[in-house]
Amino acid sequence: MNKTFRSLIYILSILLAVIVAIVLRQRAVANLPIDFDEDDYLRAGQEYAHLIRISDWSGFLETNYRPEHPPLAKIVIGLSLLSAEEKPLVPEAATSAGPNKFLPSVLVKPARTLNAILGVLTVAILAAINPLAGLFLAAHTLTTKYVSQIMLEALPALTSLITATSYLKWKQAKRSGVNGWLILSAISLGLTAASKYLYCVVGIAILADWLLDAREKETLKSSLRTAAIWGLLAIAIFFAFDPYLWPNPIARLGESIFFHAGYASGAAEVEDAGFPIWQPIFWLFFSPRVWHGKVFPFPFDPFIATLALFGLKRLWTKERLYVLWLGIGLAFLLAWPTKWPQYIVILTVPLSLAAAETIFIFGDNLRRWRQTRKTRARVHYNKTEIRRAIPWLVPGLITFAILTLFPLIFQFGVSMTNFNSASIRDGFNGGIWRSISSGLTGKLPTMPANLTAHPDKVNFVGLNSYPEVFKFISYSNNWSILFFNVLWTVFSVLLQCGLGLGVALLLWQRGVRLGKFWQALFILPWAIPEMIGAMMWVNVFQRDWGWLYLAVDKFGESSVFAVFVNALNQNPSLWLAVFLLPAVWYGFPFMMLAASTGLKTVPREVLDAAAIDGAGIWQAFRYVTWPMLLPLLLPAVIVRGIFAFNQFYLFQAFGFRNATLATLSYNVFNPARGFGAAGGQFAISATINIITVILLMIFVLLFSRWTRSGPVRE
Amino acid sequence: MRNISFPRQLATQIALTVVGLFVMLPIWGMARLAFDGSLKGRPTEFRWLPKVWSFDAFMQVLDKPYQSVDFHVLLRNSLLVSLSAALIAILLGMSLAYAFARFRFPARQGGLYALLLTAVLPPVAFMTPLYIILSLLHVRTTLLGLIITYAAFAMPFCIWNMRAAFQAIPKEIEEAAFLDGAGDITSFIFITLPLALPSIAVAGLIAFLMAYSEFTLGWLFVEKSETVTLAMSIYAIVQTQYSGGAQPWSYLGSLAIIMSIPVVIIFLIFQRTLLERMMFGSTAE
Repeated sequence: MNKTFRSLIYILSILLAVIVAIVLRQRAVANLPIDFDEDDYLRAGQEYAHLIRISDWSGFLETNYRPEHPPLAKIVIGLSLLSAEEKPLVPEAATSAGPNKFLPSVLVKPARTLNAILGVLTVAILAAINPLAGLFLAAHTLTTKYVSQIMLEALPALTSLITATSYLKWKQAKRSGVNGWLILSAISLGLTAASKYLYCVVGIAILADWLLDAREKETLKSSLRTAAIWGLLAIAIFFAFDPYLWPNPIARLGESIFFHAGYASGAAEVEDAGFPIWQPIFWLFFSPRVWHGKVFPFPFDPFIATLALFGLKRLWTKERLYVLWLGIGLAFLLAWPTKWPQYIVILTVPLSLAAAETIFIFGDNLRRWRQTRKTRARVHYNKTEIRRAIPWLVPGLITFAILTLFPLIFQFGVSMTNFNSASIRDGFNGGIWRSISSGLTGKLPTMPANLTAHPDKVNFVGLNSYPEVFKFISYSNNWSILFFNVLWTVFSVLLQCGLGLGVALLLWQRGVRLGKFWQALFILPWAIPEMIGAMMWVNVFQRDWGWLYLAVDKFGESSVFAVFVNALNQNPSLWLAVFLLPAVWYGFPFMMLAASTGLKTVPREVLDAAAIDGAGIWQAFRYVTWPMLLPLLLPAVIVRGIFAFNQFYLFQAFGFRNATLATLSYNVFNPARGFGAAGGQFAISATINIITVILLMIFVLLFSRWTRSGPVRE
Repeated sequence: MRNISFPRQLATQIALTVVGLFVMLPIWGMARLAFDGSLKGRPTEFRWLPKVWSFDAFMQVLDKPYQSVDFHVLLRNSLLVSLSAALIAILLGMSLAYAFARFRFPARQGGLYALLLTAVLPPVAFMTPLYIILSLLHVRTTLLGLIITYAAFAMPFCIWNMRAAFQAIPKEIEEAAFLDGAGDITSFIFITLPLALPSIAVAGLIAFLMAYSEFTLGWLFVEKSETVTLAMSIYAIVQTQYSGGAQPWSYLGSLAIIMSIPVVIIFLIFQRTLLERMMFGSTAE
């Protein structure tokens, strides 16, 4: 491929991203219903537009409707209103009020359009860095929604991206001093702060990157000086573009910041929403298509987020700032008690970049596979060998097929029907077989899948139920069982791994007393049958007569136990933590044993030599111990991951909880508790089982390819 | 180099004690109930130690733990079911595992994937299909039904493990025997099998433990109290207690302890080998 062709492709793909962004945002501007807060920011914009019209410049000093957010983004909304005729101010409403449906459309249109244009600009800049990432950002439905409404997201999203890219430009220039790019970065950061504080996480990420960089190059002092100039300039710009602060900076800044703290901890709507700690992760895998099915053609968001997971590592080696941005932003959102969906917009730029990296990895792998495929020799089967294999295969294959393969195939078969509790008689009298065979041969028409109907005859629905069921477990009744299942798997495996590795490392130190005793003690949870272990924990947490509740009775309402029980009652999502306790308890010994088996292979002499050469504890661990541990830890992670995904007995033992905080397996076994109107559908259960198998196979294959370990290794 | 310093030793011991407390907390919660002779129904007050120390619950449970079924009947059922299930899974899985380890034949790769598919299938997915098969065979409510169910559970795992074990044995040894005139079966029985026996035994042990502690599927199939296993009886006790049953909670505690002790001993003895097998034999390669 020659150079002109390449740059042509590059420009065309930027254009494509921008066109997609324009089309989708234009649709959103025209069709999205009025949302919460749009009336407030429109009113703020009206006030500014009025001030500009009458040239009352000093009025800017005293005007900032909804002063918890700095004024810049609202002033920009005001600018967009200048082209429209003036209308009476939108009435004030409490922050907790519902959306105002009666906003004048002559004002809504220009305000939304300007925001959307800023959104398209963001996509254009990102596409110039990486066209594929630009395309992802253009298609991201949650971003599209919130930059195309009268919200404060579009401007700071744009300026925060400029902050990051111009900082990187400065870094590439490899000069330690200040240059134009750095000044641009500082100005953009100041503008970001003057629009919405939350978007300043990009500044924290830049500082973190700066620090890492300075430590590597050992230029801490000069870097510190440059960073200070950059920071001070940003603060100056922030003040310059926040006229509301000028008359009384300290008090008003304090007021606007403390509002957020108070809002987060006290506002009625925040408490009503009752979002759990991990809600931001949920929003990442969520698409507002479920709210506005007509506006958004396809829920791209969960797919982009999933892709991003696999690209993080490569993005880190390519440009770690973006990963820092994503990580720090997400950490902040997790810690912050207010968890509105629009906050995710601070993350979608690095998210899109990470997703793009995954596509590149995929492309690389595909190219490599095509190259090796040509050189790989074809396997020739030896006839005598096949003949020798047959007597070995037959007896095992028959049993295996009946006992283990049949359930799998049966589940697949049932998933192609609408077998349910009402048609159980027909089904067991040959209905399942009849409908599948006649459906596959085309004698009967394929019915559409309906999750809530319970016909009393079994019908053939083909693969129709797969998209329906996938939608159902991804999002129904404001909740995603699949999301919980994945979250549960990740948390429990990570915690088990962490505790197991930690304990193994503690025991591995030279000369630890009682090592054998501790190891034997820690193996106990693994040796106790799972359901007995689960019941032991139920005995602690069982409502009313569990140990914990008895302790509340004994030690009174002010004891630690009572505080904990109250927190549990107020915030049911804490039950996740309660369930994680037994999961970690049961799983960490396995990880500990795997890790300590791995540690046995680490030569102590090498560590001693590294220590003499001046390696710190961390470096010795990172470069000597960890690589030797990994080959043993990873298969253990696969085993525990499969187990955690299908975890069943634990939830069955704790069965008194509502079923949203439980795995798919639990819900398949007890469909009446979790599935509501879709309960009693054996076909749904079967479909979920097959989807589980597919997801886990993808996980196992990807994981073992990625780490070059695990069960599928020839 | 030197052993760790005293402060570090102290910090380590404190950290290990914290983890130890975490490990012991639920176990102690159950043991406290088991040894408390004063319990009439559920525990009504918070105590660290039993109010009245007693072994009555253990004696009771060792006599008739569940409905009027003798303990030895339950134990016999448990052992019969678990041992047979493990034997079936091992014996019938062995030939398949050997074929996959030794011979190249078409669709071998596909077969391996099928094996993996069944290993990631959630246990609850076996529910309805096995119900149908066992009903067709008219053995659903018998011990044989349970045996078949648990054998189905354990089979993918056993096959995968035994395959790894057979693969670890050099092919050349068999080929030498082959040249000396031994057939496939002879060389398998006299050469490969003895070498792989330890790994096979451990795979069997894990299959045994799976069957020994399973109860949910058991209760789906079983209807008569004579065909109940230990694990199932403990779950039944819990169920009656949740619904306000009259048995003292010390029964649950003592039965849980009695059931766990043999397994704990097995695990303490075989920890390394069990670990290797449970990771699909990946550490052994």
